[in-house]
Amino acid sequence: MSKKIFIDFKRCIGCRACEVACEMEHGEARIRVFEFPDLTTIPFNCRHCEKAPCLEVCPTGALYRDQDGAVAFDPLKCIGCLMCAVACPFGVPKIDEVNKIMDKCDLCSERRAEGKLPACVSSCPTEALKFGEINEVLWDREGSFVSRLKEARERGEKEPIYLL
Amino acid sequence: MEELVPVVCPWCSVGCRLYIVSVNGHPRKIEWDYDHPNTPNRGKLCPKGVASYQFTISPDRLKKPLIKRNGKFEEVSWEEAIRYVAQKFKEIIEENGPEALAFLGSERCSLEDNYVLQKLARALGTNNVEFAGRLCQSSNFVARSKVFGSPAQTNPFDDIVKSKVILVWGYNPAETNPVLFGQYFEKALDNGAKMIVVDPIKTKTAKFADIHLQPYPGTDLAVALAMLNHIIKNELYDKKFVEERTDNFEELAKSVEEYTPEWAEKVSGVPAEMIKRAAELLATGGNATIVLNEGVNQHANGTMTALAIANLIAITGNIGKEGVFSGVIPGAHCGLCAAVPGVNCAQLPGPVPLNEENAKKFSELWGFEVPREPGLHYQAIFKAMAEGKVKGIFIMGQNPARSLANSSLIEEALEKAFVVVSDIFPTETTKFADVILPAASWYEKTGTVITQNRRVMRSFRAIKPPGEAKPDWEILVMLARELGVGEYFNYSSVDDILREINRAIPALKGATPERLNSNLEGCFYPCPDEESETPRLFLKGFPTKTGRAQLTPVKWVQPGEVPDEEYPLWLTNFRQVGHFHTGTMSMRSKSLIKRWPESFLMINPEDAKALGIRDGDRVRVETRRGSLVVRAMVTDRIRKGVVAMPWHWGVNFLTKDDAIDEFSKMPELKAVACRVTKEVVE
Ligand code: SF4
Ligand code: SF4
Ligand code: SF4
Repeated sequence: MSKKIFIDFKRCIGCRACEVACEMEHGEARIRVFEFPDLTTIPFNCRHCEKAPCLEVCPTGALYRDQDGAVAFDPLKCIGCLMCAVACPFGVPKIDEVNKIMDKCDLCSERRAEGKLPACVSSCPTEALKFGEINEVLWDREGSFVSRLKEARERGEKEPIYLL
Repeated sequence: MEELVPVVCPWCSVGCRLYIVSVNGHPRKIEWDYDHPNTPNRGKLCPKGVASYQFTISPDRLKKPLIKRNGKFEEVSWEEAIRYVAQKFKEIIEENGPEALAFLGSERCSLEDNYVLQKLARALGTNNVEFAGRLCQSSNFVARSKVFGSPAQTNPFDDIVKSKVILVWGYNPAETNPVLFGQYFEKALDNGAKMIVVDPIKTKTAKFADIHLQPYPGTDLAVALAMLNHIIKNELYDKKFVEERTDNFEELAKSVEEYTPEWAEKVSGVPAEMIKRAAELLATGGNATIVLNEGVNQHANGTMTALAIANLIAITGNIGKEGVFSGVIPGAHCGLCAAVPGVNCAQLPGPVPLNEENAKKFSELWGFEVPREPGLHYQAIFKAMAEGKVKGIFIMGQNPARSLANSSLIEEALEKAFVVVSDIFPTETTKFADVILPAASWYEKTGTVITQNRRVMRSFRAIKPPGEAKPDWEILVMLARELGVGEYFNYSSVDDILREINRAIPALKGATPERLNSNLEGCFYPCPDEESETPRLFLKGFPTKTGRAQLTPVKWVQPGEVPDEEYPLWLTNFRQVGHFHTGTMSMRSKSLIKRWPESFLMINPEDAKALGIRDGDRVRVETRRGSLVVRAMVTDRIRKGVVAMPWHWGVNFLTKDDAIDEFSKMPELKAVACRVTKEVVE
């Protein structure tokens, strides 16, 4: 299974450390934090889709899947045709106006090659961003849910409890 | 050559660790430090930390010593600059005595820098040595010192995660200390803790709250009094703790008798029912974390509020054990680096009071006579300067022309004296300088920090200082030699200075250069020897006369200014995650200024409608002292009747006031009356 960045909106405080970290790494932030008036904050980056439309439409093979499953990108092959930007359901690939080629998240391939986490994940003070396989992430969740159930049961021996 | 240099973040007092990837002394990027899981941040950083070296490479940096001649600054050599300063200082001492000199230390400089600064002042014979801590935490400092005998943060951050209730008062950790919030507060919430937030604004912290009380600015004292009243009246307090570890309970109970939640509702606008619920949760919900900040401190009634909260902490027994936490979390990372080595007009390193016995001790240790007369405090120094009594001042990394109240008086004072400033950027204060000395910034020197969690850590030199800039301690040692007191300043490295500090301050005896250099996670101060440290305070007793917490009667005091017909709205201010204080450094950081570019005014939709203001309109905000124009942000996040602005863009001239806290001398900085009008563009 490939590793991805999973986002837990509930934990996010909209501090934009992820954006700044990405900008320091790549010169331009490839992750963006959307803020809404009710204080909901949604960090959003490329999903590295299992069936990636961007990759499917790329005529030159500039977009490719790397060994960890990330949808990575070869700037030398890109002709700036913008097909990927149109095909992506989230509007992720952006054009680099200076070089007229595309720019998108590659899950920090250089950092991964050194065994490090992507920059945004390294930074995120709340752990709203998690890097891993989907099953790992789900197990983590399930684990904490089970432990809460257990705690509730123990408490429930004394007082009535409700599980919501 | 590429190197990974371990440093401590230069901004807030959480004290996060990170690495600078440095190529021949130039920063290439940062790297997160996941190698030291026991450091407070466990690798994580907020946007200020990530962007933290950007300001150091700003083209505005001061690079050469400057002397003002005929109104113009001229570049000179270090030798000339230091000779000139020394000669002027000598003249002043000869003509007017050493008390005509003053020295300002800084919460942005290292322990060693500050230690050398106060020692130089004393070697020259003056106790006029101070730093800006007076304007930051003084309300809580006074209150917590009175009740608990010490203002310090009580427990390690890990204890926050163990608490069941979190009370956040006048403080927005999600924006001011994101790493603390994400790594400790959110984890406590994961474990099922309940959070109460007291703040007129629905902040990013309040978003996570179970109970959010929104008092008018400066009326939170009424909420605190009512909580005391409710807890005492219904006997919800921790009876065992009150009996065993506190004094004066009866007097406290009597003092809050009239302050019912219903009374507080009228004063603060917070429903009585909600105050009761919050009080009950705090008193009966289990171990509590209670944190407060400038929303409590920076009011003319701030000490009273801080006292009321300290009493709340004591009667609910949330201190002096494992699994609780309380304290203030101030702005800068190195406040204790100035406070502990006695950068204070009436304290010597320790800090210990300046008295005959201590002065004698330090005279013996240092080899010169320590002056016995207490010096002037921060504001008094400037007053004396305006009166011509203080004739020369050495300012290390401070910007009093901007940060002090009543700036016209400060400017007049600076005009009159011989002013030497060592700093990293030109500031409002350097305009008035006679000599400017370029200092190395935080990542450009090795030094020790003491973060607010009382953790002593080493930060190492990662970047070459620009031009001829030098670490402050080196500047001070050069000056000392030129002034003829060089024999007392025989240091060739920061380690030499730290070794002397180990001897001078018993509580830091164990924080040796060897320990800090090899153990990047540092140790909790007090650390009386190399093996020990003190993560938790007050486990056995309090450092008060009786060893018990001194409950202190409290009373209602009005905020400094309240709205009236002419100025019908409350104005308060807040901080943003991307900026630090007045922005001298953060606004020179390109990633930060891009995301947090300008000031604005938060206003409630109902107030906005009544005034004909729409989101994005330009509005004029006016108080009795001045006015400015900003963009309006119409939002439910602020309660009706209150407007708020981020304070990084110099709003203090609006809030500046003669109302001053009688105990802490804190001016009313957070609650004033204002009016807002739509700015019509012609
Ligand atoms: S760093 Fe984390 S908490 Fe901050 S905005 Fe990004 S996802 Fe949210
Ligand atoms: S760019 Fe868009 S389509 Fe392509 S992998 Fe990312 S999210 Fe999927
Ligand atoms: S939380 Fe404070 S110490 Fe940590 S990275 Fe942010 S500013 Fe620096």
